[in-house]
Amino acid sequence: MRKPRLPEVTHLQFLVLAVLQGGEQPGRTVRKAIGHYGVRRTAAAFYQMMARLERDGLVEGWYDQITIGDQAVTERRYRVTPAGARAWEETRAFYENAGLAVARERWSDA
Amino acid sequence: MREVFDPAHADLRIAYLDARQRTPSRLARAGLRILYAARVLLLALDCGRVVFAATLAFHRSRPPDDRHPQEPFTMLLYYARHALRLLVREPGFTIAAVLTLALGVGANVAVFAVVEAVLLRPLPFADADRLAIVKHRDQRTGFTKQDVAMGDFVDLAARQSVFESMAGYGSGQGLMFGLGDPFRVSTLGAGPGLLDTLRVRPVLGRLLQPDDSRPDAAPVVVLGYELWQSRFGSDPNIVGRGVKLGPRERQVVGVAQEGFRFPPAAAVDVIVPMAVPATAPAERKSGWPYAVARLKPGTSIEDANANLAILSTALQREYPRSNQGSEYFALPLRDAVVGDTKPALLLLLAAVGVVLLIACANVANLMVARSLARRREMAVRMALGAGRGQLVAQLLAESLMLALAAGCAGALVAIWGVPGLVALLPASVAAPGLADVRIDGSVLAFTLGVSVATALLFGLVAALTVKRESAAGALVAPGRVTMSRTARRATSALVVVEIALAIVLLVGAGLILRSFVRLLAVDPGFRAERVMTMGIAVPSDRYKDADSRRAFYDRASAALRALPDVRDVGTAVVMPLTGNNWTVGFERVEQPVAAGARPPEVGWQVASGGYFRALQIPLVAGRLFDETDTPHTRPVVIISEAVQRRFFPHESAIGRLIQSGDGPAEIVGVVGNIRRADLRDEPRADLYFPAERGPGNQMTLFVGTTADPAGVLPSLQAALRAIEPSIAFLEARTLSDVAAASMQVTQLALWLLGLFAVISISLAAVGIYGVMSYVVRQRTREIGTRVALGATGRDIAWLVMRQGAAIAACGTVLGLAASLVASRSLAAILFGVSTSDPATLAVSAGALIAATVAACYGPARRAVRVDPARTLADQ
Repeated sequence: MRKPRLPEVTHLQFLVLAVLQGGEQPGRTVRKAIGHYGVRRTAAAFYQMMARLERDGLVEGWYDQITIGDQAVTERRYRVTPAGARAWEETRAFYENAGLAVARERWSDA
Repeated sequence: MREVFDPAHADLRIAYLDARQRTPSRLARAGLRILYAARVLLLALDCGRVVFAATLAFHRSRPPDDRHPQEPFTMLLYYARHALRLLVREPGFTIAAVLTLALGVGANVAVFAVVEAVLLRPLPFADADRLAIVKHRDQRTGFTKQDVAMGDFVDLAARQSVFESMAGYGSGQGLMFGLGDPFRVSTLGAGPGLLDTLRVRPVLGRLLQPDDSRPDAAPVVVLGYELWQSRFGSDPNIVGRGVKLGPRERQVVGVAQEGFRFPPAAAVDVIVPMAVPATAPAERKSGWPYAVARLKPGTSIEDANANLAILSTALQREYPRSNQGSEYFALPLRDAVVGDTKPALLLLLAAVGVVLLIACANVANLMVARSLARRREMAVRMALGAGRGQLVAQLLAESLMLALAAGCAGALVAIWGVPGLVALLPASVAAPGLADVRIDGSVLAFTLGVSVATALLFGLVAALTVKRESAAGALVAPGRVTMSRTARRATSALVVVEIALAIVLLVGAGLILRSFVRLLAVDPGFRAERVMTMGIAVPSDRYKDADSRRAFYDRASAALRALPDVRDVGTAVVMPLTGNNWTVGFERVEQPVAAGARPPEVGWQVASGGYFRALQIPLVAGRLFDETDTPHTRPVVIISEAVQRRFFPHESAIGRLIQSGDGPAEIVGVVGNIRRADLRDEPRADLYFPAERGPGNQMTLFVGTTADPAGVLPSLQAALRAIEPSIAFLEARTLSDVAAASMQVTQLALWLLGLFAVISISLAAVGIYGVMSYVVRQRTREIGTRVALGATGRDIAWLVMRQGAAIAACGTVLGLAASLVASRSLAAILFGVSTSDPATLAVSAGALIAATVAACYGPARRAVRVDPARTLADQ
């Protein structure tokens, strides 16, 4: 059996990738969605994390123009990359399989 | 930083725009805007924090062996931490310095926000920098106007070789019927090719095509996006529907793109085709469209002007009677739109720049004084091996921290100041972007830039006073450390500069104050008090001919005159004091101008007899227009005294005939001169045609009242509606308001320059107080010795005052010289006062010397009270 590896994404990044599994989203929607799970990040901290995810190649971001009233605003949208989807899947599998397996083992300090 | 700030800022903006859409109240919207600006500022700070924290985390993640103690980031952290600790330890100094700088930075940012919105933000057209307005200049009088004679327009458009396209347009007001009460709409008359020249796109249907402008074409209209939204509920099936605009039913063929405004500051509710003949009409001086053109790629405005100059000369040669002295030139669209606002704004920016310089000089003085108190600390550092560079870096880090704190506080000052500044701007400043002045990325970048520049400026002065050789002395006898000669000179020089700069602002404010007083004293030739002006329009399908309109105006005048509080009622076309330069050729029948020569021009106005009585323009000879002048009687005119003097110098003008469009017209009256276009204008020669002979569907009523004119307005409107229920009321203002509006630019400059002058003179006084206090402290022993040797209180006070007076004198001389140069930039705003007005210069210098004396009084008093026994014992 292959030795399980610890996941490389943090639980916060895992949440973001999970939100983007459903399809591309603007940043503010992602921020609101992870807010439902008790994650409170200022906009600056949130986009710093997104920039990091982009640099690591887990998500892809681009600017898109929307119109509100008579004003045009350029908002940032994100979608998960194949690498991101893989990382999310590996993390999910880790907690599901390796996590359960660890719980079923009998451990002793002897 | 951008990768974090930009998306987060977009989210903030979306939330703000969303909330704004749901808020109908203007007050609440203003509140939202302030809140938004504050949140942007907090976001910028938060972004700085997050990025800094990330960099720090990265730095710390490396093993300590990797980090060299002298590497820039470690040093930066060290300096920043140390500076912050020092500043927190001296809250008095920190607060004084931050507040002084925040005032300077805030004022700069607020004015820059307006400059950015008005002068720097691109106009909302594709390749807007290639758009130009073609204007006319009369070489004989120097007057320029935007109206182009139709004959010239057609010829210029056909012959020019520098523009990709050139199109005519006209702006106006119309009435729209059929959606409840008739309401006023802003119309843009678009000549063939106008919308292509401006590169406008439709959001629905199509725009106008050249065929729509043909006289036999079906009447069509393109709706403005905002009107389509507000009055037609964004109806997607609007294309093909009919709307009644003025007398005609027109078919809607499309909706223009969102936010389309032309001219850029004017709302466009509807766009209708404007006819432009294919060949120049025989009556060349007719039609009067405005002209806008798009330069060919790679063609400059100078090329265009060279081409237009050649064409103007050709037209002068071909049509001397109409074109002698006529010259056409092109002006970039932005310059044409921004007009007089540009020099005024740049002047303000310069003035706030001066305030900031004074604030910097003050803080630099504080820093120098403080660095002296820290001499021992510096000496210890030097003794332990710190280089001069490190000490300078330390001082610079402190000033940078101060400036950044001041930048944040200044941005808050600006957020509060911008709405106030925009509200102060006169309504006549119709600059694009003014409605949307905001503290955005570029303004925040400007704030950051100003703050850092400020830090370098005052930090360097303080840093330059650090001297190595005095280190030993400072350690041995810390109590006796005195300012080095360089430092002493530097602080005195700073105060001299402060005083000089303050004088420049003071002289500017003084000159504008004198202009304003002169303007208030100008006699316009008519009485503006207790006159109500109101635009009215009657439906043109009901009032088709001059007789029916005349009948309406007769009935309306009689009904209004019967009202209590109404003295007289008149009508006219041109509103005085609004810059109108319309002219007409003047030619006596018995002295025709030579064949091929263009008759001289005089001001043009259509007015009724009641107009002169309502405005109390005196009748000098003959009679005013009255009920005997009708559309069917022979043409008559009234001239102003200036016409009498110029064309009938030694004879009576009454009864003489002049050429007019209707044939020879008899001069029946001579009235007093008025300053028609502007209060700064010289009284002009004016020719009045009787409104009684051919009143239009739209006219301006001038109602002289015996009570407050604004209070009479409702009863005027009720009386007119009783006569004609479908009458539309256009703009209503008292003539006093119109006169006040014509002085608003001067008034604004007066307010702001006055405010800046007061701030700067206060700062300069604080500066000189600081320096003199320091001098007294330094010379305590000397003063004690002098007193012990028999000097009186007067001698001691004079000793201190003399030094202060020397600094003030240097600053005053320098400032007066500088203001002689600087005040030339005010020439356009000044009226009746020279830029080197000796009285203003003397009063400004006197005010500053008084402030200096007041500032020296405290230190001098302390010097007088020095106890010689104690100071000598200390020694």
